[in-house]
This record gives sequence, structure tokens and C-alpha cells, in this order.
Amino acid sequence: MTALTRRRLLQSSAAGAAGLTIAGASLPRPAAAADKVLKIGFLAPLTGEVAAWGLPGLNGCNIWADEVNAAGGIEIGGDTYTVEFVPYDNEYSPDRALAGARKLVLEDEVKFIMMLGGDTWPAVQPFANANGMLVSTLLPSDLSPDTPSLIAPTEVHPIYNVTGVQWLAENFPDAKRVAICAQEDSLGRPSVATYQAAFKVHGMEMVDEIFFDPATTDFAPIMTRMLASNPDVLCLDTAYADFVNLLMEQAFLQGFGGKIISCTFDNYPQVIEKTSVEFVEGTIFQFPDFDDPALEGRVTFTDSQKFWNTYQERFPNTWSAVSWEYASIMSLWVDAAKAAGSVEPGPVLQAMKASPTGQHAFGPAVWWGEELFGINNALVGDWPVVVMNSEGRARIAEFKSIPAWWDAHKETFIETYRAYGEMWDQRA
Amino acid sequence: MALRHLPLSLAIAVAVLLAPYGAQLIGGDSMVGTLVTMMIFAIVVVSYRLLAMTGEFSLAHVVIMGVGAYASALAAKQLGIPLWLSIPLGGLVAALVALILAFPLFRMKGFYFLIGSFAAGEAIRLSWIRFRDPFGGTRGISLIPGFDLTLPGLGRLDFFDPINAYFMITAVTAVALFLMYRIERSRIGLTLNAIHWKDLLAESVGVNLWRYRTLALVLASFFAGIAGALFAHNLSTINPRIFSIHAMLLVLVWVIVGGTRTFWGPIIGLIALTVVDQVLRLYIDLPPEWRPAIFGIILILAVMFLPQGLESLPGKIRGWLGSRRPPPGMDVRTAE
Repeated sequence: MTALTRRRLLQSSAAGAAGLTIAGASLPRPAAAADKVLKIGFLAPLTGEVAAWGLPGLNGCNIWADEVNAAGGIEIGGDTYTVEFVPYDNEYSPDRALAGARKLVLEDEVKFIMMLGGDTWPAVQPFANANGMLVSTLLPSDLSPDTPSLIAPTEVHPIYNVTGVQWLAENFPDAKRVAICAQEDSLGRPSVATYQAAFKVHGMEMVDEIFFDPATTDFAPIMTRMLASNPDVLCLDTAYADFVNLLMEQAFLQGFGGKIISCTFDNYPQVIEKTSVEFVEGTIFQFPDFDDPALEGRVTFTDSQKFWNTYQERFPNTWSAVSWEYASIMSLWVDAAKAAGSVEPGPVLQAMKASPTGQHAFGPAVWWGEELFGINNALVGDWPVVVMNSEGRARIAEFKSIPAWWDAHKETFIETYRAYGEMWDQRA
Repeated sequence: MALRHLPLSLAIAVAVLLAPYGAQLIGGDSMVGTLVTMMIFAIVVVSYRLLAMTGEFSLAHVVIMGVGAYASALAAKQLGIPLWLSIPLGGLVAALVALILAFPLFRMKGFYFLIGSFAAGEAIRLSWIRFRDPFGGTRGISLIPGFDLTLPGLGRLDFFDPINAYFMITAVTAVALFLMYRIERSRIGLTLNAIHWKDLLAESVGVNLWRYRTLALVLASFFAGIAGALFAHNLSTINPRIFSIHAMLLVLVWVIVGGTRTFWGPIIGLIALTVVDQVLRLYIDLPPEWRPAIFGIILILAVMFLPQGLESLPGKIRGWLGSRRPPPGMDVRTAE
């Protein structure tokens, strides 16, 4: 095998680029060929323990882009664009995220960056502010008055978790005692605060609360302690996808027979293989499969069934909570760019927020968040409550309104959030 | 410095000065940003070797770096102390924490010291999580004041430009490395080496082992604290996860792959593995989830075939070439 020298690398890169150019020139093109390329940055964890909330989102975006490009691109302000996603793996590390933001903005000249957010956002924040770059996050707990160009237009984590608790309380009024666990990080902690607020509102008691280190690999002791408090409900919070699965296995092995509620339940077929359909039946979480009949006519950004089929065909066994979310953000962005007649971040943001209402992935929504985040940059509407059925499939039980819940219970929520130190003005 | 080393020193200086421009040509500003991070970690790996000279390997060094980062960040953000003061303050606080840790830690040796240092580091890291005021809990501290410098004739420098950040941090790194080099070449350095290889003999001739080991830990921690402070002000945010055992293992890998016998070994390891990482990221078209596996294989191969680190490679090559040459005094032609 020959060694990879820099010279060889440059030679092969040049040859590859030349080959691609020739190949590209000879390939047939769509009839209405786009004349410009619209580059969108995808700055999320593609490897590591949080990759389940990054990589499947990139897969979804590529499906979305292929559809858009095959249809001739997007017309904005008189120009037609093909869409290209430029990914950068931030490994859920702040310094990688900053390096990625620099590359995407300064070298790739992207017009919009999509992030998971969380621990990686604060490193990007000063750079994004200085460059006026429009950035989206899946975690509105990143929002504050210091983040004018950060939006949370699809996922309102962890606020939607209240809808799952509401549904649980309405349908299983005898389930009163809850044990909760989460990794101690900027995903887990605000989520615990949210669940706690919802438990209080709906007359449930949190009998144990465990924060574990994100480096934890053995979940048996955690489950043993949770079960020791004799709970009716196990709440797995926003534990990472792998953690939820391991905790479910432990709950099965240790003989738990009550209700389980979680923010996500990714890769649930693997859990069923290790437990049983009967065990996971009734598990409540917040993210639907897109072949769910209840989504028909409800999803605003794509044909949900077609999206699901394409995804399963191209990326089998990788569907997660975020598979559709980033693509849904793109749809919102395109609508705003068309309204603005520009792809530049400033006009797009202005157009996006020109009206106090907007079109969310699941229907009409409002720009919201001032009371919780100090800024109305989260788009909030209805959110599905998903329950595992007797056939081992995730199915939507009901859509519930987050704004309606908020209006009725916001005092309790804010009081609890503040007790956990999660209000925007409490962050260091 | 011996005169014979002057050309090499000049070459290194020129390479360091030109590096950001070369990096920018090859990989743009993000590559320069990687160089900036590498410069910060050059202080960390060399200071780690300073401690390792005593024969003890710590698992708390990155947490100590974090102590410097938190101290400088809090001093600058909460107290408004200017960075030229808060950064050395970060180093001093890290050194002070190390001095306190020295009392329990140096009652242990070898494997016990390793585990003890891990426990101490975790205790510090968990305290950042538990005491949300002032450390910010899991979110850490954000919006940390960045570098701010106005030069006559150049005006206010923009440190979002990574080339400016590179020269600022390289200047501090150069001073730190020079100081550590002088320490190694001083009587203190010789004594630390003696403790490493023959601690009982050193003690028998009057060397106070505890004092010198503590001195090494405190000095190494001071420099690690400086590196942490630079990291915090360059990144504008810190959190406990940044200083986790994963980061510590990375530092260990850099040091072990580079080698600990010479001053330059850890730096060579840092540079080599950073280059590998960048090549895998930017030039090898593979699914991103494959990268850690390939990186791991490269590490295993390096450790298998170069157990004394990359710094031993020139010697191995010389030895390999030497074994192919005829013995001195034997000419190939006469042998025929």
C-alpha cells in the first residue's frame, strides 16, 4: 500500500475534482436548471454519544434537498437555487462548534446554520452575533435576549414534555408516584424542571430524582434506586437515546410493571428485541414515526408517508426524534426567504417574524418565549403525544396545545424552572 | 542554547510564524482555529510532561486546566478584572489548588497516585456542576470576555479573526514553553529526573522527594491553568464536560504517542495526531461515524510499533539505516 503524502493527496484531490467536473458536465440536468447554489450549514453532532440527534437530521435534510433539487430548485428573489447542505461534525463539543461555525460562515459562505444547540451554542453565540448569522436550535433553552439571531422554530424542547404528562394524568389518574432520572447536562436539567412542573400541575409526586454523569455506562444501579422508591411511573426525561434504551432494558430486567414516560424513544425496535412488545406497550413519548395515520394532512412541510418511506429505504434503522426536524426548519426558512426575496440572514429573520404567528411542523403556531427565555424566538403550537401500541409500534394518541397548557399553568412552570436555576436570567 | 541548534531554532520560529497563513491556504480560517487550539494544548502537554518527569502520571491535569479557566473567566466576567491580570491569576489559582492536592496525592505512588488524581479531579469537576453559583452548573459559564487589544498604528485587533488570536496565543505559549524548557534544564529539572529514575538514591543524598514532587505539580498546574484561561477567553464559554476524563485521555494519548523522553515529544504527538484528525475530517471522504474508529486504529498501530513515541522515530530510522551499512572500516568494494 502506498503512503498518503500531501503531494499524493493534492494530486488525487485535483484528479477527483477534475473527474467530478467532467462527470457533472456530462450528466443530464433538470429542465429548469438552477443557476445558483444555496449553501446551508449543518453544525451538529454526527459522531459521539449525542449523534442520534444530529446524523439522522442530516439524513432527513438530504432527502428534503434531493426532492427540492429534483423539482428544479427554489426560486427566491428572481434567482433559482439548488440546495446544498454543508455538514460539520461538532462532536457536541464547544470548540469544535466554533471551528465549524467559522468554516461554514467564512469559507463555505452558508446563509443559514442549523444546530442541535445545548452545550455547543454558547461557543458559537459571540461569533454568530458578530456576523449577524441566522442560526436555529432544537433547544429553545439556548434562547435569551442576547441571542437575537437564534431561533427555535420546530422543536420546543423541553416544553412539549408537559403534553405527555397531561395525557398520562388524564388517562391514568391513579399513576401518582414518579421517579425521574437524567444525565446532568443542559439537555437533562431543564427537562427535569419541566417534568417536575407538569407533575405538580397534574397532581403527581416526584418520589426520586437522579442526575447521573453523561459518562455513565452501567444503568443497573440507577434503575435499582429508582425502583426502590416504589414508583407508579418511571420518567426517563431527555436521556440520550442510548441511555433511554439501556434504562428500558434495566426496567424490564428488574421487573418494573408501571408506566414509563420519556421525551424520546429512538430505536425502539431494538428495545423490543431485548424486552418484549408487552413491556414497551403504553410507553409515552413525544416523537412520532412519520407513517402514523394521525399525521395525514397534519404535517405542513412534507408528505409524511413519502418522507418516511424514502427515509426507511435510504437510511434503514436510523430513524430518530430529529430525522424530520431539521428538514422542517428548512421548509420554514424557505417560506421566509421567498417572502423576503433574499437569502441573506437579516431579511430572512425579519420575514420569518413579520407576523406573530407562523406555520409550525404540525400546523399553526405562535412566536413565543418572552416570559421563559426573555425573547419570542420559539415557534410553539400543537405537539403530539406518542404511545407504544400493542403491536410494538409508536402511534400518536393525541395532539395537545402547548400554548393552552402554558396559559393555564405558567406560574407553576416559571416557579419550578426558577427553583432549578433554569430561567434565562439565572444562567451564568 | 548551543550555536549548532540555531538553524533549527530559526526554522521552527519561521514555521510558527508562517503556520497560520499556510493553514489558511490549506483549510481556511477553521484550520487556523485548529492551530489556535493546538497552541493552547501545547502548553498543556508540555506541562503534563513536567509533572511526568517525577515518574507520576496524573489524571487531574485537564481538570486543573479547567480550574485556571474558571478562575480567569469568573475574574474577568464577574469582577471585571482585565485579561492581562485574570489569565496569570488563573494560573495562580490552579497552582494553589494543586498545592492543596499535593498533600493527599503524594502520599500515594504509581497506580494509586493515578487513581487518586482521577478522584481529586472528579471531585473538582463535580463541584462545578453542583455549585451553580458561581460556576454555572452543567451549562458552565458563557459570554466570557474575549481578548481585547489595541496596538498603536493597528488600532483595535479583531480576535474573531483567528490569525490575530493565533499570534496572541502563540506569544503566550512561546513564553510558557521557554520557561518550562528553562526549568527542565535547571537544577530543578535534573533533580526531578533523578527522582523519576532513582528516587531512593536521590533521597539518600538529601533530596526532599515530597517537596520536589510538589514543586513539579504546582509548576505544571500553573502552566495548565494559564492554558485553561487562554482556552476560556478564546472560546467565550466553558463547562464541566470540556474538562472531562475524555479530554484527559486525549492529552494522555498525545503525550504517549509523542513520547516523554524529550521536551519536544508531547508537542510532536500533539501535532501529529491533530494533523491525522484534520486529514480524516477534511480530505478522506468517509461517513463521519467511521472517523473515531480509524483514529483508534492509527493510535493502536503507533503504540504497537513506536512504544517510545514518535520522538524515537529518527533514532529508529538511523538504526535501521545503520544496520544496512557495512560495519565501520569495511568497504563494500574491499569486501568483494
